[in-house]
Parts: sequence; structure tokens; C-alpha cells
Amino acid sequence: MTVDESGHSAAGELRADNDMRARAAVVGIGVTDFGGDYAAARADRTRPPADVTTVAKLAFDRALGDAGLRPEDVDGLCARLLHRGPGAAELARTLGVKPRFLLETGGLHPIPTAVQALAAGECDTLALCYAAVSRSSGRQFGGQTYGGDGRDSYYYYHPWGWSSQAAHWALMFQHYMAAYGATEEDLGSVAIAVRRYATLNDNATMRNPLSLDDYLGARYIVRPLRLLDLCLVNDGGVCLILRRADAAKDGPHAPVLVQGWGYAEVTHSKMHYMVEERLRPQLNSAVSEALTMAHMDLSDVGHFQGYDASSVHLVNQLEGYGFVKPGEGLDFCRDGGIGVGGSLPTNTNGGMLSEAYMHGWNQLVECVRQLRHEAGDVQVPGVHASMFSFATTDSAQPVIFGRAGED
Amino acid sequence: MTERRPNRVLRPVDEQFWKFCSDRELRLQRCLDCSHISWPPTEACEMCGRTRLSWELLSGKGTVVSWCTFERSYYDILPVPWDNILVRLDEGAHFLSNPVGFTGGNAKANMPVRVDFIDCEDDHGSFSLPVFAQEEPK
Repeated sequence: MTVDESGHSAAGELRADNDMRARAAVVGIGVTDFGGDYAAARADRTRPPADVTTVAKLAFDRALGDAGLRPEDVDGLCARLLHRGPGAAELARTLGVKPRFLLETGGLHPIPTAVQALAAGECDTLALCYAAVSRSSGRQFGGQTYGGDGRDSYYYYHPWGWSSQAAHWALMFQHYMAAYGATEEDLGSVAIAVRRYATLNDNATMRNPLSLDDYLGARYIVRPLRLLDLCLVNDGGVCLILRRADAAKDGPHAPVLVQGWGYAEVTHSKMHYMVEERLRPQLNSAVSEALTMAHMDLSDVGHFQGYDASSVHLVNQLEGYGFVKPGEGLDFCRDGGIGVGGSLPTNTNGGMLSEAYMHGWNQLVECVRQLRHEAGDVQVPGVHASMFSFATTDSAQPVIFGRAGED
Repeated sequence: MTERRPNRVLRPVDEQFWKFCSDRELRLQRCLDCSHISWPPTEACEMCGRTRLSWELLSGKGTVVSWCTFERSYYDILPVPWDNILVRLDEGAHFLSNPVGFTGGNAKANMPVRVDFIDCEDDHGSFSLPVFAQEEPK
């Protein structure tokens, strides 16, 4: 299958399905060496580009070890190897597994479809593999890199010299400043707070502490946004292994249940919803759906992994999902709300701004670590529900996880 | 003077839009069933999906909703800094464009603007590009 980077594919199958609550659990997680690979590439500019399948295999092997499983236990496989990487059948040969089920649908974030497949008995142990070699392949996130097969805002405005994900977020924040009287200094609080977590994460790509002066001294990419407002571009892989909840209890770690999900997208007037509404109607609808499915209130969510493709988009999600009121997201970040000991610890791995840009897949892994209560220095004490968010320039897909036995 | 620009997307429905621009007319497609104006050009209304669309001549007037300035270059043929504005047209659609006679540095939210057309060319040939100038107060 192909999945465009805005994550659009068969939206229908991503909508909440109330019968699917607590039916499956994450039992294994694996990631590659984000920080180590970055440092090695900086030290040796002649290093050849990473091979996307090799990257995926490392994450898979680690997830398998984490789950205490063997390759022959894996009977379901999903491959999301971006930028024309191989599909699941080809990946299976490299991984040395013989799956009876290949998960080909469900978009860039197929957890809902994976749960449905497990619940239906299509397979018993499903490995979800993601890998991207965005850095070493020289991936550009603007200019004439997108054709006519994605959302039109990614390519239609070339004659006006407008493109790039960064430019989408820039229009949002310029409008936000005018609407709420916010400043660029205020926005700096987001990158600084997320970086503080990365300094505590041995596997993060960017680990130096960030001051407001560092932030303001960073070069602009698209005003009013600076380099530090935009996610990293790096190589890496992530693997999650899921089993049905009843078969998830015997592993080495506490199983992490998939409790709910939701989905909503802009269907028309994208520029209006994106810039003037900052996707509030979509975020609100998607989270309502997810909370209903999970039998939870928003106040039950004690940890959040938002899609920080840009600092401003993390604020959009904090506000749009209802964690804070519209216009109050930057104050919340500045006053420690998303930090260690805050009321909603957010992106506790350093997020995509500082740990790694894995299209949200590394964010999922941090939800699992937190709910296993294995997050070390950044552990949210006693957390029992965590929300992941995949949010693009025109869609919102939250997924709520919980600790088994505490649902 | 003709400006070199990155290539337009030119499906048949886009050809129609640019032909109107060459006559210095800003025309977008209004749905005859639900009245919604779609942009970019489309075969079916982006709101209701129906296909009875009419190329309506717009006033060319609108207000600035947001703006941004590229400091990083994404197109070899365009200089940086490079300004863009998002205009809410009086008839309702949002139009991504360039400012003329002002910049991202002195743009203001809700600033009234009016369409103008500048001579451009891309790999497909010459065309008139709709851009926006500040509307002088009466």
C-alpha cells in the first residue's frame, strides 16, 4: 500500500469502534538508536545512506526481545516503510517471519485496524513496523517534492512560491498571535519544555538544554517560525507488537491496552479550518469519539504524546482536545503544565522536536513506557491512561491507551 | 517585466481558471446547488460533491487572514525573504497569494486588499498571476 505523509488513507476504517475497547494490547516495543545514529552521521559525512529495511529489522528484533517472543510467534505483519520502502510481504522475508496475515490498510497509524484484525482472529501476534530514512535520503519537506497525489495544499500553490509543512504551521501561528496577543517568545516555551525531557533521554537526537536566548537566536525557516519550532528530520525505525488482551498477560512487561480511538478530518475549506480554527472542530470531534469508546473523561488522561511536527501544532492539540482553553496553551507550556510534575506531562521522550521524527511512532512507544511505569526519570507517577495523537494539517487521530487491570 | 515562477498545476479545470486570469478576471467556481465556492479548481463541489459549478466573477476584494515569510529557500528561482498572504475573499473562499506593495513585515490582520495581476511565466508558458495589494481607504 502507499500512505502519503499527511496520513490519508481509507479514513472510514479509523473511526471509533466501541466493541473494540480493551480487546488488544501492546506487548513489545523496539526503537533504533536515534541519537547514536545522528551523532555517527555528523561525525562521518561520507557514511552511506541507511537502508530502510535494515533499520526496520533492528527495531523489530528489539521489539521481539522486549516482548520475550521468537520470530516464529509472529503471525501478522504490517509494514510502514516510508518513501517507497518495501511492503509487508517483502519485509517478512528480511525479518525471517512467515505471517498468515498482512495488514495493508489503516493509514500511517494502523493501530485501530490492527486491533480489529486481532479481535477477528486474523492473527494472534501482530508486528507493526515503521521505518524512514528521511535524513540520509535527503528528503525535503517543501518545494516541488510533492506531486498531484496528496492534499492539494502540498503542491497547488507553487506559482505563488508557497509550500512546505513549515509554511502551514507558520500561517497558523501568525494568526494565533493576532487572535490572542501571543508573541514569538511565548512560543519558545514549547520547544524549551519538550527539550527539557530530551535532556533526560539517552536515545534522544537533541540533548542540549535550550534557553530562551538559544531559541530566539535560532534561524527562521518560515517567519514567524524558527528551526526549533519544527520537528527533526532523521532516520530510524519503530516496532510495536500487539496481541489480543487475553493472550497478553504472560509477557515480561505490563501489557498496555488499546482503549479507544477517534478520527476526524477537514473535508472542505481547508485553509479556513487550518488557520482560523486551528482544527478545533476536528480535534474536538475525534477526541469525543475516542473518550466515549474508552469509557473515559478527558481528566482521566494523565499523560499526552502530541504530534509536535511543529511547536504550534502541539498547542493546537492541547487546546483543540480540550486540555486547556483556546488561547491558553502557551501560558500552560510556559508555566510548566506539560513538564515533569505538571498537570499534563506531554511528549516526555522529547517528542518529534527533540527525540526523533518518526511520524508519531516514537510517540506511541513513550505512551507504552509510561503505562508500564518504566519511564525512568520522566515517569508520571501512577499514570493509568495515556493519549497519543496523530494530527496533520487537516486531520486528527487520537488513540487512548490504558494499563491492564485499571480500566 | 515578466517574473519566472514555479510551475502551475494544469489540469483542464485549471486551464479555465488561468484563462480568466489572463483577462484580469478572478473567477472561482460557485456551486449552483449549495452556493459554496471551491478553491483550488475542482470537478465537483468540495462541500456537497455535486457538479453544477459556475465560474463566478468575484469582486477581487478581501481581507488578510494570515501571512508568512520564507527565510529558507524551497525554490531555486525565487529569492528569499519571500512573502505570502492568506486572503479571505469577500465572497467567502480563502486564497493563498503574494502581497504587492507591502510585505510580511507590515501586513496586519484584517487589512483590506484587492486583487491585481502580474505577468509571469513558467515551463508551460506565460500567465497572469493573481496577487493582492492593500486597498486604499476611501
